[in-house]
Amino acid sequence: MPIEINWQLLMPELVIALTLIIVLVFDLFDAISKTVLGWMTIVGAGIALWVSIQMHQAGTVGIQFNEMFKVDSFSLFFNIIFLVSTILVVLISMSYLDRGDRKQGPYYLLILLATLGMMLMAAGNELIVVFLGLELMSLSLYVLAGYFRESPASSEAGMKYLLLGAFASAFFLYGIALIYGGAGTTSIPAIAEAITAENKSPLLLAGMFLLVVGFGFKVAIVPFHQWAPDVYEGAPTTIAAFISAGPKAAGFAAFLRIFMEALPSLQVEWSGVLILLAMLTMTVGNVIAIAQTNIKRMLAYSSIAHAGYVLIGLAAANDDGISSAMLYLLIYCVMNIGAFGAVILAKTADGESLMISDYAGLGTRKPLLAIFMSVMLLSLAGFPPTAGFVGKFYIFKAAVGAGHIWLVIIGAINTAISAFYYLRVVVTMYMREPEEELEFSPYASTLVIGLILAVVGVLLIGILPSLMLTPAQNSVF
Amino acid sequence: MRGIARGRGLGATAVKAIAFGIGLITFVISLGLYTEFNADLATFQLGGTPIEWIPGGVSYHIGVDGISLWLVLLTTFLTSVCILAAWNSVEKGLSGFMMSLLALETGMLGVFCSLDLFLFFVFWESMLIPMYFLIGVWGGERRIYATVKFVLYTMAGSALMLVGILALYFQNGNSFDLTTLSGPFEHSDLLFLAFFIAFAIKVPLFPFHTWLPDAHVEAPTVGSVILAGVLLKMGTYGIIRFCLPLFPDAAEKFTPLIVTLAVIGIIYGALVAMVQPDLKKLVAYSSVSHLGFVVLGLFSKNPVGIQGSMLQMINHGLSTGALFLLVGMIYERRHSRMIVDFGGLSKRMPIFATIFMIVTLSSIGLPGLNGFVGEYMILAGSFVGQAFSKVYVVFATAGVILAAIYMLWMFQRVMFGTLDKTNENLPDLNAREIVVLLPILLFIVWIGVYPKPFLSKMEKSVAVVVTKVQTAPAMGQLEKQKLRDPKLALQGTLRTQHEKREKEAKQ
Repeated sequence: MPIEINWQLLMPELVIALTLIIVLVFDLFDAISKTVLGWMTIVGAGIALWVSIQMHQAGTVGIQFNEMFKVDSFSLFFNIIFLVSTILVVLISMSYLDRGDRKQGPYYLLILLATLGMMLMAAGNELIVVFLGLELMSLSLYVLAGYFRESPASSEAGMKYLLLGAFASAFFLYGIALIYGGAGTTSIPAIAEAITAENKSPLLLAGMFLLVVGFGFKVAIVPFHQWAPDVYEGAPTTIAAFISAGPKAAGFAAFLRIFMEALPSLQVEWSGVLILLAMLTMTVGNVIAIAQTNIKRMLAYSSIAHAGYVLIGLAAANDDGISSAMLYLLIYCVMNIGAFGAVILAKTADGESLMISDYAGLGTRKPLLAIFMSVMLLSLAGFPPTAGFVGKFYIFKAAVGAGHIWLVIIGAINTAISAFYYLRVVVTMYMREPEEELEFSPYASTLVIGLILAVVGVLLIGILPSLMLTPAQNSVF
Repeated sequence: MRGIARGRGLGATAVKAIAFGIGLITFVISLGLYTEFNADLATFQLGGTPIEWIPGGVSYHIGVDGISLWLVLLTTFLTSVCILAAWNSVEKGLSGFMMSLLALETGMLGVFCSLDLFLFFVFWESMLIPMYFLIGVWGGERRIYATVKFVLYTMAGSALMLVGILALYFQNGNSFDLTTLSGPFEHSDLLFLAFFIAFAIKVPLFPFHTWLPDAHVEAPTVGSVILAGVLLKMGTYGIIRFCLPLFPDAAEKFTPLIVTLAVIGIIYGALVAMVQPDLKKLVAYSSVSHLGFVVLGLFSKNPVGIQGSMLQMINHGLSTGALFLLVGMIYERRHSRMIVDFGGLSKRMPIFATIFMIVTLSSIGLPGLNGFVGEYMILAGSFVGQAFSKVYVVFATAGVILAAIYMLWMFQRVMFGTLDKTNENLPDLNAREIVVLLPILLFIVWIGVYPKPFLSKMEKSVAVVVTKVQTAPAMGQLEKQKLRDPKLALQGTLRTQHEKREKEAKQ
């Protein structure tokens, strides 16, 4: 059967793939300044973002490659999330990488590859394609986590991530195999048709739970979260920002697609599990974050907790739940990358200052940095008028609408708990005097641009939520 | 209505002048609210048409009624006073201080004017951040502990309120509009508690009060004034705006418990205030006691009692605000707030002593000054209101006596007796400080002598709340009880008379 390819549907992916090749080729020429590669990546991702937005607004829908690849508002919205994350991460990376004789070409290449993998995951209409995307993304991330070869911590992070990630992939693949055994197909719409009320084979249930475990590892849900703090702490800070944002959103994209579209008839079975996981994830993430003294570890636990909030939206399992989870992921990506960006901005002569106590007195000594950091942390804590508040509000609203009052109460209490450790950083910056005078490096312009974009995004969505809420609501499959 | 000053790069005087100008302009504009407000209508007024903010039930819907009008005026008045009072006391980050103060004003006005639950919550939460900075950056020694405690307490409460708001949204036909909300609601007991706990923390009602003394003691003077003067009123305002009219059944059910807590608060606050060695802490605990009165009056569910509570909210804002200002002024001179460090000040600082005396008497409710009118109305309303046993009122009255004891005893120790040598060179109040205090004194006397202009504006709106809160139990439980209790039957007739009067007024 000849395959007719509608190239237009694949535009965002093609642009990224093309950029990837260009970056690869230009990396060969030593004469070219390596920051140019970063700008190329940004331009490529920017074009892909623009194309995705256009396609999203036009409401493009289409299926490609023997129904394996599905372009719809849902996948396009997630493309927007991934590309925004990629652009922000590259912006905060450029000055970060620019020291010593570090090779930069492969870094951007791998980021683009991972982005392509994520886009594949969101558009996968077939479990195998989702798996392909997952692996493309994960393999790139393993390398990126260990990118600073000279740093033992980075190598350790890469190794740990690889081992645990491989486990997760195996679980995921095993899940696919069992679902194939139960449903006789790996195509998402076909699975939905194959599962009927009377045909709920144990194979399917086992496969479904294995998928939960696999996804749980990838998006760092408690109790599958142990890798996250170690990897975030050891990996280059920019990569920690990247791992915590786009890949997590991609994991949730596939999670949503598979559970809402392929396994809706098993909702009775999975919604209880998701509610339990959501409660556990939020509570454990937030409570452990309180005890952290290293800001990267604190952000790692905070990102675990945020996965818990997204799970509330999934557990609500209605249209509002899906759209609010999507909105939340977008907001979360921007504010989390912003927070990591602020950490990078607080660079001292002898490396990064990662202890929260190092931030004492920043409010008066580095006011711009302190403002960036405060806005991001207040948004993560969910204070109005930032985007974080809007995101949480809509997640909670969806869950109340679905009748999960207790889940929302636990979520709301967790918000209060999380305020404690986010505000502690703000306290340190504005209200404590520094014990020793740290010499902070001057700001890098690209980093500041990235942070300004993040701050503007966070405040804009916070004040005019409908800018992103309406597109998210239109993107529910 | 909303002024946010940005004063970076300007001279200190310019920053202060801009901030004061904005504060004053806001106050003048809010005075316009008073003159424009039509007291014959009980509806929300002067808000303009609601503007849709987020599709799906959120709109920028504001307006004032006779209840919020006063709190808006109190807010704008006290903010202007505070900016003037903080003229020379801020040593670092002046522009940040003024920005926080004005942002705080924005948040508080937003809370009092919002007629949309989403909007209300946004303002309720956003007012936390400036207060957090005011205490945390410009506060005393244990400021970090105090500010974090303040934020966490409030956030814990508002987390529950958020759930309540969401649950109301779905019962209100997917809208956050307050004016279309009408009961009865499902799970009204739980919803009532979700709102009430948030407000009780803010008030603060015993046993949620522990954040208050810490926050007050550590906050800069102006922070304390705003905190006591306006922020605490957000709690009582929430009760009168949401808890009572929306969930009358639940309010009826929880009245004994809440009134017990209020009375405990009145007496406990007074007793603890009595033994405080620190002037600021004494005033802080006296707030716990005074706010207990306000809650008592609100739950009397009787027009007199609720009007008394409303008046007492304003009174407390004025008197306690003035007390904090006075304590701040003496602290700036002596750098101590310990009562033992003072004595005989009246000889050195006669103007200070006189003003302090008036404010003290207003706080303990001397007839002729504002405190008396409010407390009298609360106690009278509670006594005739029959909403709860008279025993509560008797105990609450004991609080008035205790207040006289701790305030006068404090006054005696600070003002009379022998003058300590270290205090011999303390200068009396300067012109700016007198200007700060005089307007407050004016209102203290005005409300005490002629409270009618204040009461007449709120009468109708209070009557609406009273009708709403009395309707539900009157339909159910009261009918049954009437047979047994002749007094309740009487109350029923009183209510019908009241309704009749209202109908006549409408015509």
